[in-house]
Amino acid sequence: MSLVRPGDAVVVTLAALLVGASWAAFWGGGGPAEFAAVSAPGQPLQQLPLGTDAVLEVRGRLGASRLEVRDGRARFTDSPCVGRLCVHAGWLSRSGQVAACLPNGVVLEITGGEREFDAISF
Amino acid sequence: MKRVLPAASLLVTAACLALLAGCGRPAADEETRHRFMAMGTLVDITIFGAPPATAEQAAREVEALFHALHQAWNPWGDGELGRLNEALARGQPAAPGEDLWQLLAEAAALSEASGGLFDPTLGPLVLLWGFASEEDRPAAPPPAEEIAARLSRRVALATLLKPDGRVAGPPGVQLDLGAFFKGVAVDRAIELLRARGIEHAIVNAGGDLRAIGQRGERPWRVGIRAARDPAGVAAAIEIAADEAVFTSGDYERHFEFEGRRYHHVLDPRNGYPSQGIASVTVLHRDAGRADAGATALMVAGPADWPAVAAALGLETVLVILEDGRAELTGAMQPRLRFTDEAQARAARVRNLP
Repeated sequence: MSLVRPGDAVVVTLAALLVGASWAAFWGGGGPAEFAAVSAPGQPLQQLPLGTDAVLEVRGRLGASRLEVRDGRARFTDSPCVGRLCVHAGWLSRSGQVAACLPNGVVLEITGGEREFDAISF
Repeated sequence: MKRVLPAASLLVTAACLALLAGCGRPAADEETRHRFMAMGTLVDITIFGAPPATAEQAAREVEALFHALHQAWNPWGDGELGRLNEALARGQPAAPGEDLWQLLAEAAALSEASGGLFDPTLGPLVLLWGFASEEDRPAAPPPAEEIAARLSRRVALATLLKPDGRVAGPPGVQLDLGAFFKGVAVDRAIELLRARGIEHAIVNAGGDLRAIGQRGERPWRVGIRAARDPAGVAAAIEIAADEAVFTSGDYERHFEFEGRRYHHVLDPRNGYPSQGIASVTVLHRDAGRADAGATALMVAGPADWPAVAAALGLETVLVILEDGRAELTGAMQPRLRFTDEAQARAARVRNLP
């Protein structure tokens, strides 16, 4: 009687594939970012799916901030602040990335999936 | 030999792996995050492995601490440092409380060690350039003669601290310890969290942070921003004990005038934005020292940063030059993983004297 039958080979192959998939799930991050979360003073958090292109206007302390979601990324396109650091921050796409218009109190954060970093130093 | 059906083996294998995967994932409620605005920046508190109620309460205390420190240390407000600056502006001496006095003494020692490159008396010059507030956005550099006039009123902080516990100097001297107090605030926030029994946390004040403990089974992972790509990460660092990561960059507050970039880190030797270095990242246990150090090394420039790092006791440093090349200390090299292969290959290790 042969020690290895065709069925055993199938089991071994599938088990190896599962081990590989499990390893990838552990160390490869838990998938891409999912949402653009937008917060503003006195308003509930808005979660925009990154998979759906959208334009959003949010009222802050100074006036309206405008944001855009396109091709799985999100950014500020306009804000009533003077420095406009939020607009200069450009496109965000990785989970945990944040851009904020502090004078207007509007914060954009990419959420969902697995964070690559616990914090970014800049 | 009795054989188990292949399908049954497969099911058992799959079930075991699914269980294994479940073990490795920390529960979502083990991490508590709290965000607020203070000191002109966004502050993020991340706490791991503490009961959510304890973590949230402690994070709210940190928020209150930041607001109190901002009130006390705002150079242009009506708190303790603001009142001290008002007295100095009139040419009158003032006696700060013991805490502020100690901090001024520490800042004076750091300033002296940096050869004056970290200069807490640059306040009037920062105001002149329009970099004192997030609300400002200067359109052009100030007139050269105004810069020269304000530079001439600078004095070493140590000479203002009198033996009788008072601060006194020539009229017009103003103190701005922004490049030190953010670090001190982060240090105090960590102390507060520890006093509440929290062992694993990050306090991140606008991209300058200190991390203690770790995130469950793994170290904390910190990304260093790419100098010329706001959304990019140039390198990754792991922190598994207690360390601050402070970065100073020419991309933070800046404006462009006639095709030239003017940023907020001013060189006390000439009154203009520092040149040659795009960003400096410093790792050190003491966030206050890391904060002042990152500014001083940025001002020191490509030739002198290793000497200034050595004088300040900073061993773990990453410098990104204006042309994009990276330089780092021998202690930083094993800690860092560049995300860009070309930058990693071109990186140069500089020995500290």
